[in-house]
Amino acid sequence: MMRDRERMRIERPWLWLGLVALMAAIFAADTLTNLEIAVAVLYVAVILISVRFDRPVVVVSFGLGSAVLTVLSYLLTQRGAQESGLVNGALSLIAIAATTYLALRIEAAEARVRQAQAELAHMSRVTTMGELTASIAHEVSQPLAGIVASGHAALRWLAATPSDVGEARRALERVVADADRAGEVVGRVRNLVAKSPPSRDRLDMVALIEEVLTLTRSELRRHRLVLRTDLADDLAQPLGDRVQLQQVVLNLVINAAEAMGGLESGPRDLLVGAASDGGRITVSVRDTGVSLTPAAIEQVFEAFHSTKPGGMGMGLAISRSIVEAHGGTIYAAVNHPRGMVFGFTLPVAGATSERQHG
Amino acid sequence: MDRLQATVFVVDDDVSVREGLDSLFRSVGYAVSAFASVREFALLRRPDMPSCLVLDVRMPGPSGIDFQAELAGLNDPIPIIFLTGHGDVPMAVRAIKAGAVEFLLKPFREQDLLDAVRVAIEKDEVRRRDEAALAELKARFVTLTAREKEVLAFVAQGRLNKQIAADLGLSEVTVKVHRGQVMRKMGAATLAELIRLADLISGKGQAVR
Repeated sequence: MMRDRERMRIERPWLWLGLVALMAAIFAADTLTNLEIAVAVLYVAVILISVRFDRPVVVVSFGLGSAVLTVLSYLLTQRGAQESGLVNGALSLIAIAATTYLALRIEAAEARVRQAQAELAHMSRVTTMGELTASIAHEVSQPLAGIVASGHAALRWLAATPSDVGEARRALERVVADADRAGEVVGRVRNLVAKSPPSRDRLDMVALIEEVLTLTRSELRRHRLVLRTDLADDLAQPLGDRVQLQQVVLNLVINAAEAMGGLESGPRDLLVGAASDGGRITVSVRDTGVSLTPAAIEQVFEAFHSTKPGGMGMGLAISRSIVEAHGGTIYAAVNHPRGMVFGFTLPVAGATSERQHG
Repeated sequence: MDRLQATVFVVDDDVSVREGLDSLFRSVGYAVSAFASVREFALLRRPDMPSCLVLDVRMPGPSGIDFQAELAGLNDPIPIIFLTGHGDVPMAVRAIKAGAVEFLLKPFREQDLLDAVRVAIEKDEVRRRDEAALAELKARFVTLTAREKEVLAFVAQGRLNKQIAADLGLSEVTVKVHRGQVMRKMGAATLAELIRLADLISGKGQAVR
């Protein structure tokens, strides 16, 4: 079942099928009716619909195909006045050309919007992370500075002759207090990520994933990836924070795209799946990039651990915090025959999600 | 020996950093005075001994960098070591250009901080020694007679005894006697040293260490 779907490479097969059928119908009608009846004008509908593929080359193909079919119909049609047929055919061709041009413009505008959205999403991710990191670094560095000073002071007080146990004890008490304080900072950061979902809505994960994929479409195309989805129709709806879980999916998808972007050869397949499994749902993102070693997989969710040049190593660490705050688990495994699969499971049974509030 | 008296002033609004530094510096034998703000530190009449200032950059009220400029405006030469949890390169460049001894990021390495403090204290000791030497030199200069001061001025210009005698309308022997007195009073063993001391007093020269 899964295997079959994996072999399917065509994006949106039903749209393709519908448009081809529509073209065939128009061609048939155009050929069978009299020359005076300009059925060929209806091709503009096909061209306008083809914009939904988000690919200029597809729009141009449909435009050219429509023009060719219009000429073919004109040559094949037996009945009707030649002169008005010629005029109608020419008008149809002009309409088709104009529509193709407009469709390309629309497509370009939409592409720019998607690009801007993706950049915005990326930017907000990066700036939030940057600000967060700077402030965490400052908050943690204060108690750490205290620990460094007091800890060394304690050692020196003890090493002195005669050793000053009173001073050493006071210094060590400060070390303990500072360590507690550093721990509190870390705890606050954890809460920032984990507790902030005041919203625990029933989430339509399929819609959520599709939104992320829409946002990342131009990014995926930039890396020349083939995107396939395997999203179960009857997916159970988990409780959770929509924005946070979108961040997780976004992270996994962008990571997969970047993992394959640098490939010299081989397939660049991205498979995003979602399935129900008893009391939980599983979302997975498979790529055909480089497989990580078992040792690397163990570290991959740790903060500041990055396998990417210039990576902050925060994406997967934050993703893990988010997933775990939702009572789920995040995982990484080697994909066969190559690449990685990253995914997470979320509980969906009411009882399981209630427990999170405790 | 001076180290036993040397004082490290600490200004940091974070109480645990402040107390930690206080204990650390005392454990290596410095006297320590710690303050939560630059205002408290500025109000202090500092004792006359080698000292340095360990200063946090970001604090409520004036920042450490602002305070550095303020001290410079007051001709206060106390060497400064900056500590910050939030350093950036322009800030560090500004601080070092304005004469800071060191700019350390929290959490710092203990040895880096102690080294910086040692350097700062030494810098202050040297400055104090130079100032003391100059003060002594000036005290000696005051003991010269008007005629001796005149002779010293000519000697410092590099003129020969014969020329000085002609300039002042004295015999060469008298000039030699004055010059001997000047060298004795100023504590100069050679002519070269005398010229250097004269330059120091007039503010043209640098102390030679």
